[in-house]
Amino acid sequence: MKEELFLSGRMNPNIDPYLNIWHWQIPLYLFLGGLAAGILFFAALYTIRGKAHLMPATVKWATFLVPAALVLGLISLFLDLKHKPFFWQLYTTIRFESPMSWGAWVLMLVTPLSFIWSASYLRETVPSWKWRYRWLESFESWVIKNRPGLSWAMIVLAVILGIYTGILLSAFNARPLWNASILGPLFLVSGLSTGAAVIMWLSKDPAERKLMSKIDLMLIGIELFLIVHLFMGFLASTAVQIDAAGLFLGGQFTLGFWVFVVLLGIIVPGILEIMEIRGYHIPVAVPAILILYGGLLFRFIMVEAGQITRYLY
Amino acid sequence: MAIDVKKCVGCSDCVVACQVENNVHHGYCRDWVTETINGTYPQLETEIRSERCNHCDNAPCVRCCPTGASHIADGGIVLVTARKCIGCGACIQSCPYDARYSHPDGHVDKCTFCAHRVEAGQQPACVAVCPTSCMYFGDIDNPYSDISQIMKVRKWKVLAPEAGTRPQIFYLL
Repeated sequence: MKEELFLSGRMNPNIDPYLNIWHWQIPLYLFLGGLAAGILFFAALYTIRGKAHLMPATVKWATFLVPAALVLGLISLFLDLKHKPFFWQLYTTIRFESPMSWGAWVLMLVTPLSFIWSASYLRETVPSWKWRYRWLESFESWVIKNRPGLSWAMIVLAVILGIYTGILLSAFNARPLWNASILGPLFLVSGLSTGAAVIMWLSKDPAERKLMSKIDLMLIGIELFLIVHLFMGFLASTAVQIDAAGLFLGGQFTLGFWVFVVLLGIIVPGILEIMEIRGYHIPVAVPAILILYGGLLFRFIMVEAGQITRYLY
Repeated sequence: MAIDVKKCVGCSDCVVACQVENNVHHGYCRDWVTETINGTYPQLETEIRSERCNHCDNAPCVRCCPTGASHIADGGIVLVTARKCIGCGACIQSCPYDARYSHPDGHVDKCTFCAHRVEAGQQPACVAVCPTSCMYFGDIDNPYSDISQIMKVRKWKVLAPEAGTRPQIFYLL
């Protein structure tokens, strides 16, 4: 028998009895950041490949959602801060060792870029739109001319943004559930998958929709592979990580994770997409909504469960 | 800092001394006393430890901090500059000892080893007040300091060495 107790009765708010310092704001941001990264990635990819005219939903319509998602994400990150008047301290320094510093700076670059990108498609989408100032018009034509160049910047920033949502968590070695290097790629792939789902949902062109559906199916496959590897890694690791995996393998998150995230949020939409490709008629909103819901719930569960896991001594 | 678990009786004087000295907000504590009971009745073994921030050499809280508010000051004490802290919680997530908490004012707070007392040549409040004198505080790089002397002759351990943080609180066994 081994029993541990606090003789002096430690009960620091949000720390005891188990850590709960991050609430809904962080997983919501991780979802929105991943979604934005996914949409921007595909928009940049098809612009670089010169297929922008074939993929209107990818490069145009879906990107209008990105500034909104990023602004909402930034608001939720701001709401999470407990010392709000000092938030600007993030931008007084660059700390290469801190993933959060990376994230703050990438958001600083990618948010204006996403505004510029979607604004450059505004006149094409809303023909009656007129810019108020001449310099905005000349800036717009400069952006339109340099879209392939901007795409390169955007694709790099999108990958950093997407992978950082996972690395943010995996950098915390004190939380065994998060402390897995596979979390970065897993969150990136999950973010790309939610991005592809939104594009698929918005697309009116059957060829584009089918292509995004196929890409999403591939991403779902990779995501499942990474999830299996995440748990294989935990089970082959130290006691604290075996305990962490136990939360999902018989513990309190078992049902929530395997049924509501993996089955309903990943496998079922995957099957629906296969059926769609095989020629069955499936309303595209169904797999898209399931994927978005799975991505959101996945992040909520990972953040919540990760905070419970700890080193015991 | 070295703490002799054979001498500690778990009176929690160190906890109260810290709260008074540092004006710690009601309901919070920067140090605490843990009791571990090992074995099966009647063969039981008890270990009582006064715990606090381990002022790690490889501090994950300092590494994760996006603004540099968490830093290792001269002499090795891990401190938080309240005016630089944005309250993001990254350091709290990164601490394997759960030694940090969010101050009601918003910034992160933790044990400072009573840096204000140490600078004045005094012992931290918890060390000064300990009725069994079970704590030793000093410069571990100085081979003639009390702490270096006692660590030479006693067996010691650190908490969760597997977390890789190189903690600087040594429990004398």
